[in-house]
Formats: sequence, C-alpha cells, structure tokens
Amino acid sequence: MRSIQEILKGKPWLGWLIFFATVAIVFLLGMLASSIMERRAEAVFAYTPETKFSETEPRSSVWGELFPREYDSYLKTADTSFRSKYNGSAMVDMLEESPRMVVLWAGYAFSKDYSQGRGHFYAIDDIRNTLRTGGVPSPQPNTCWTCKSPDVPRLMKEQGTAGFYSGTWDTKGPEIINPIGCADCHDSKTMNLRISRPALVEAFEARGMDITKATHQEMRSLVCAQCHVEYYFNKNKVEGVAYLIFPWKNGTALEEIEKYYDEIAFTDWTHAFSRAPMLKAQHPDYEVFSTGVHASRGVSCADCHMPFISEGGQKFTDHHLQSPLNNVANSCQVCHREETQKLISDVYSRQNKVIENRNILENLLVRCHVEAKRAWDLGAGEEQMKEILGDIRKAQWRWDFSAAGHGNSFHSPVEISRIIAGGIAFAQDARVKLARVLAALGENKEVPYPDISTKEKAQALIGLDMKKLKEEKRGFLENVVPQWIKSGEEREKGYQK
Amino acid sequence: MGFLKKLMPPDKWKLPVLLTGAVFTGLFLYAFRISNASSYLGDKPETCVNCHIMAPQYATWAHSSHREKTNCNDCHVPHNNIFNKYYFKAKDGLRHATIFTLRREPQVIFIKEAGREVVHKNCIRCHKVLITDPKLLGYNSETQNFRMERKCWECHRETPHGRANSLSSVPWARVPLPGSPTPVWLENIIKK
Repeated sequence: MRSIQEILKGKPWLGWLIFFATVAIVFLLGMLASSIMERRAEAVFAYTPETKFSETEPRSSVWGELFPREYDSYLKTADTSFRSKYNGSAMVDMLEESPRMVVLWAGYAFSKDYSQGRGHFYAIDDIRNTLRTGGVPSPQPNTCWTCKSPDVPRLMKEQGTAGFYSGTWDTKGPEIINPIGCADCHDSKTMNLRISRPALVEAFEARGMDITKATHQEMRSLVCAQCHVEYYFNKNKVEGVAYLIFPWKNGTALEEIEKYYDEIAFTDWTHAFSRAPMLKAQHPDYEVFSTGVHASRGVSCADCHMPFISEGGQKFTDHHLQSPLNNVANSCQVCHREETQKLISDVYSRQNKVIENRNILENLLVRCHVEAKRAWDLGAGEEQMKEILGDIRKAQWRWDFSAAGHGNSFHSPVEISRIIAGGIAFAQDARVKLARVLAALGENKEVPYPDISTKEKAQALIGLDMKKLKEEKRGFLENVVPQWIKSGEEREKGYQK
Repeated sequence: MGFLKKLMPPDKWKLPVLLTGAVFTGLFLYAFRISNASSYLGDKPETCVNCHIMAPQYATWAHSSHREKTNCNDCHVPHNNIFNKYYFKAKDGLRHATIFTLRREPQVIFIKEAGREVVHKNCIRCHKVLITDPKLLGYNSETQNFRMERKCWECHRETPHGRANSLSSVPWARVPLPGSPTPVWLENIIKK
C-alpha cells in the first residue's frame, strides 16, 4: 500500500479536502458546544430576576415590584372574611369561646388574652395589640418577635442570634415594623426557599440532621416549620437571654418532647390554683402534621396552603396563605375528585369528633385545678400532692398540644385522638387521687365546678385585673407604637432599592 | 488487525494525527459533559429540565398528584419492552435536542401524535382497572373500546400539567435547572 504522502503527491486536492472537512467538523462541534453553553447560561438567569435590593431587605413591597402576582396574592392575607367551623382568617377571642381556658392558664399570660390569629399580614399589629405583651417595660422578651417579621433576620445578622433575643420585648419595637413576608422564606439572590431562623437549624443539629440536605419538597414544609412548631425559651443556654429552642432532641412526637422537658425539669409556669409545674404547648403544627396521612403521602404545607394557581395564562404559587377550605378546588381537588361540600364535611366530621373529647378533657382539667386548690386550702402536704400535680401536668400538656395547633384535628385526627385519650386518662387518675386526698382531709363531697360561663367571670375568678391591663395597653398603643412606626420608617428611607 | 494496521498513519504523520484526534475527543468530551449527556440514560425528572424550556412541564408535574407516583418517563416513553423504550427515547430526545439547539422551539409546545399514543397507553398501563370494569361491560359491550379509543385527556384535561403550558407560563417556578457550568474552583479563581 502506498503511503498518504505518496497519494497526496499525485492528488493535491485531496489534501485540501481533508483540511477543509476537518475545519468544518471542528467548527460545527465548537458551535454545538457554545450553543449548549449559551442555553445553560440562559437557564441560570431565565427563572431568577436580578435583584438590586440587599439580602436583608425587610419590605415585601420592594420584593413585590419584581413579583407582582406573588405579592398581590400575599396581600390577600389581610382578608379576614373567611371563617370555617373551627378556624379561618377571622380573629376569634378563644377565651370568650371557651372560658375554661382562662382557668387552665391561671397564672400564665395566656389567661389575659388569647385569640385565634389572623393572616400573616397582621403579625405585627396582633403582637402589639395582645394584652400578653403588655406595655413598657414588657413582661415578655424580644424572643417573642422571632416569628413576626422579616426585620428579624436583618437584626440577627446585625446583632447575632443571642443578641437579638436579649432584652425585653419593647426594646426592639422601633426595629421591627414589617409583618411576615418575602425575606422570611426566600433568598434574595436565587429566590430559592431558605431557612432564615436559626432555631430550626439548631433543632436539626440537635437531632444529628443537616437541614441543608433537605429537598425542595421538604423545604416547602420546613420554611413553615421555622415558626409553626412547639418551642420554649431556654434561660440557661446564654446568660440572661431567653434563647429560643425547639425541644426536638429526642424526636418530635408528644411523648418524646415531654421526655425532653422532664429531663431538663422544665416548666413554663406554676399553676395559680393547683400549683402544678405546667407546660404550655405552643403550636405544634409541623410536628402533628408529620404524623398524618397527608405527610406520609409526601404532601407539603405549601401543597394545600399555597397551591399553584393560574391567572392570565400564567401559573404561580398562591401566596395567599389560608385555610384550604376556602380554596378547595386548588388544594384538595388536585388529588381528591369529590364534590367541594363533601370534602368540607369530611374535614368537619373529623374535627367534630376530636373536639368532642377535647372538650371533655378541658372540663376535667378545670375540675383538676379547682379540686387541687381545695386540697391545698384544706392543708394538703407537698408529698401528698406530688404525684397528682405530675398527672395534671401530663394531662394538660396533652390537651394543649391538641388545642394549640391550628389544624391539628384535621392534620392528624388519629394521633390527636390518641393524645386526648391519654390526657383524659391522666386527668381522671389525678382526680381519683385527689378524691382520696380530699377524703383524708375530711372533705368527702364534690368540689363545686366554678361559674365560668363567661370570660369575664373566669378572669375575675383567677384574680386578673383586666381593667388595669387594658388601660396599660391602650396607653402603649396610643403613645409608644406611633413612635416605633415613625422611627422605623425613617430608618428604612436609607435602604438601597 | 491487518485492517487496523492499514489505518495507522505513516510515522511522519503520527504526531499531527494524534493532535487532531485529541482535539476531536476533547471537544466531544466537553460537549458530553456540559450537556449532561449521561443523565439521558436514566429516569430522573431533573434530566428533562436540562433544557430550561421544559420548566413549565416540570413545575406543573411537581404540583400535581402524579408527582408522587410517576416520573416523566413513566408516561412519555413506551414501556412494552426495554428496546422500544430506549429507541423511542433516543428518537424523541434527538429531535428535542436538535430543535432546542436550533432555537426552533414554539412558544407553546404540543405533544406529537407518536407521543400521544405512548402517553395514552401509559395511562391505561396504570389505570387499567378504571376502564375494564366488568360491571360496566355488562351494560354496554362497547364501553371498553369506547374508553380505549378516546384519549384520556379529552376529559381529564388538567391531568397532570394543567392547561396553560406556554414557555412563559411559570415565570418564577423553582425548578431544578442545571446550575452554572463553570466549576466552583474556576469561579473562585475568577473572583480573585
């Protein structure tokens, strides 16, 4: 065979052909590569707008300029017109609904004022308005602001986590003026979901888990779990600071959280009547939801509370966080092809059944507290009462865990029924023991059930001076809050947009 | 081996041939890597948003109840046998890649006839019980044919992607698009 050199000697055009063919192929391959690069670069920018505002921008209206649909739907959380049978966006005075709660919380701030919350839009108004936060100085720490505003991650960045928590609630008033909004859940550069509150990150760490490994679908619940969870203030972690902790070290089930509290001998307060070392459940929405059938089918909070909606040929996440019962078509019916009324009645039937036993437990707890008080009044000893008080703590912890979560009786009806059943057993145990103690003290008759037919009567019974509390709040709202708003707005004028 | 020997360039040409060959291989490997080519052998739904214009399809699927049980391939490639699966995938995929590369994508993407057949068969594959109800067959012997012939989505029009599917229908949806192709170490050097 002749070598190529020899072949080319005779046919120089063949050499040129090879040359140009190679040029063409390399050129085309290069074009292909650059096209792939170009389209990949597009992907980086196509779904994320360029933002000029800072990563801690607390004003949702500034974010809203880039996301008008999301922002408009978020503003609808200001709507308070929807009331379902037990929940909804209207403000409901729960102490009015059930004055028994006043007795259950005697000696604790919740007996002063407890309302069913309105939408995120009112987070700041409502925490200023509640009697629980009082005036200046406030009986509460700054930790109470943690879940109320996108000003919080901004301040935490400036002052550190513990620095933010320190001091009484009124001291950070001028710094926190924006209600829950964009920056609480979104990264300002990528717009991805983000965890802005250290308490959740620390809770994951305490369980040996890494929250940065969470999938997008998990994040669609975890951003909610930054706040809609059980928590307590640890006063020993940092000197003089009410440090926010989620008690998840042993797990998130009721018994696991209870075990954690027992291990560190934690009590929220000592009950004014029974002197029991009480626990106050906050709103264990995420913990309870996780035990339900929706969670086990992979549904996230956002799937029902922030469904995809379409408007003018565009689809986006409805940022009007609300009860799915007000939006059955976009939430329930994505999976359940039943009539709206049927679906709503399914929810109510679960809630009705759970509430039935919760009310029984609530009644028993009122009796526990007044009977224990009677026993103390008759001269019962610490040793006699110790076990009883432990039972009351357990029973009310179970009641509160069920009652405090917003949608618990629907999110996980079986788990909540189990918890209430346990609560009833502990309450009855306490009462059997109390009957024996009372009999030993010479009182062998029923301790009368107090007249707590209204909130006012119940509050008078536990000795609250409501007039003074309301007067203090009125002065605070009239004199202090306008100054907070003014100085906050002044500060924000300096922010780059 | 004799054949290979014939292909071997003469000694004088070995270096240029080696260099040219390496250029081709390098370019090919580069294109292979930045296009996530290996991902196309698998079934991950993230693969389909290698091309960002598939974001509406991904986002709508991720918000539907089908996301719990299916990935893209479960519905959009045939499952009668593995050869047909990969043949169809290659055929469809190469067409998609060509159109995407040439920027010929329409503003609203419609499924083609071959794809429709595949999807319809896959609906039946999982939901067979719904259309072979012996009770209904008792009433009307045509029930089964009637149901098989029509496409499921003539009625179930929102399943699972909803009805608005233009390229711009999900402006800010969080979809796992491929990130920047620049490796982190290179980015760090550039930043410095």
